[in-house]
Amino acid sequence: MQRLGNFKLPQFFNFPPFFTLQPVKETREKQVQVWKQLLLDYCRSQKIFVIGLEEDFPLFSNPVIERSLSHEAREVFLSALISEGHAEWMDKDHRKCLMLWLRLQEWADYILNFVKDNGLQDGVMTIEEMRSGTETHELAGIDRGLLLRVLRLLEQKGKATIFKGTSADDDGVKFSV
Amino acid sequence: MRRRPGIAGLKSAAAARDQYRLVGENVARIRADVMKEQLETFRTQLEDFARKHKNDIRKNPTFRSQFHEMCAKVGVDPLASNKGFWAELLGIGDFYYELGVQIVDICLSTRSHNGGLINLQELCSLLCQRRKVAREAVTEDDCLRAISKLKVLGSGFEVISVGKKKLVRSVPTELNKDHNEILEVAQAQGYVTIEELEKRLSWSSGRAIDALETLLKEGLAMIDDGHRDGKRRYWFPCVASIFSAPGSDGFRSL
Repeated sequence: MQRLGNFKLPQFFNFPPFFTLQPVKETREKQVQVWKQLLLDYCRSQKIFVIGLEEDFPLFSNPVIERSLSHEAREVFLSALISEGHAEWMDKDHRKCLMLWLRLQEWADYILNFVKDNGLQDGVMTIEEMRSGTETHELAGIDRGLLLRVLRLLEQKGKATIFKGTSADDDGVKFSV
Repeated sequence: MRRRPGIAGLKSAAAARDQYRLVGENVARIRADVMKEQLETFRTQLEDFARKHKNDIRKNPTFRSQFHEMCAKVGVDPLASNKGFWAELLGIGDFYYELGVQIVDICLSTRSHNGGLINLQELCSLLCQRRKVAREAVTEDDCLRAISKLKVLGSGFEVISVGKKKLVRSVPTELNKDHNEILEVAQAQGYVTIEELEKRLSWSSGRAIDALETLLKEGLAMIDDGHRDGKRRYWFPCVASIFSAPGSDGFRSL
């Protein structure tokens, strides 16, 4: 089976009609479903947080079968993810899309568990510290903007306090779980 | 004055009834015993045979199909009931029931991409993959047998022949002659174009479009507008080889 780096592509990726938006409702639903899954799985495994619709995103075309997704199709698949909270448009023109394989609330829960598991309650961490870490770690390499939003969500619930540092690199957070 | 039955009259009538019953029971018992004896002989013979060849029946698909043929000739259906000695002795009822369940499962899980029509070959290879642990070869003949058992469920499982291939249908779609011919043409490459149908089958484009529209609506076909030549292709997952490639894990995860 075809691979993209270390990512194993699903079979439908080599089946040309999956690159054309299907006119029949049921078939379209199935098509959207498999694409949603592929987009999320791929982004999660490669830690890709932002997809540019105009860019050469590896999943948008398959040179092996000489097919690529139309702009409309890209928008349809991403919109489907957005409707379930698994993505967000980053601009009005729908050119960039933020991928949320964990939804915002799920990220918040994940971070709380991470804090508990590592005994970080009442400790202070910098934002950069949270983003570093081993490859396999879910938080490693997380989009900075996304992380800040999740932390603010926690702040609203009184579970975290964000500190402004002298520079952006020094921004810190204190958890009070 | 109306005559009432006397005690004595009642008694003699009851005694006569008892006599009749006794005689009747005797006759029935004798008949049943004879039958039992005959059945017993037949059963031991068959059991002996089955026991002797148990391993062959389970492991060897050719032998299995011959065994089935023999059973059919003597009017015994080892799959008719899961109770009884066949099941106990051979587990052969279970074998086909298990196969049936797995076939239903595969048909359902692949329905999303093939619209409920699956190539028998593909079904068989998916089945073998799923049964890897069992290490018992499953042939297309076994699949057909298991599918014929599924018919009693009235769930619309059916095997249809299209050209050289056999397709298993798990949805109640009625395919007419035109649809079958399209599937036959599609077998070569997995897809057809309207032009191709016009040429190969000498159809009008209206006839081709009409039939293709139906197949699309049934979820058996998918359109592909991405080819360089700009001609729309109608793909048929049920005959496209991409899904029956060996070692394929198909759409099972869906």
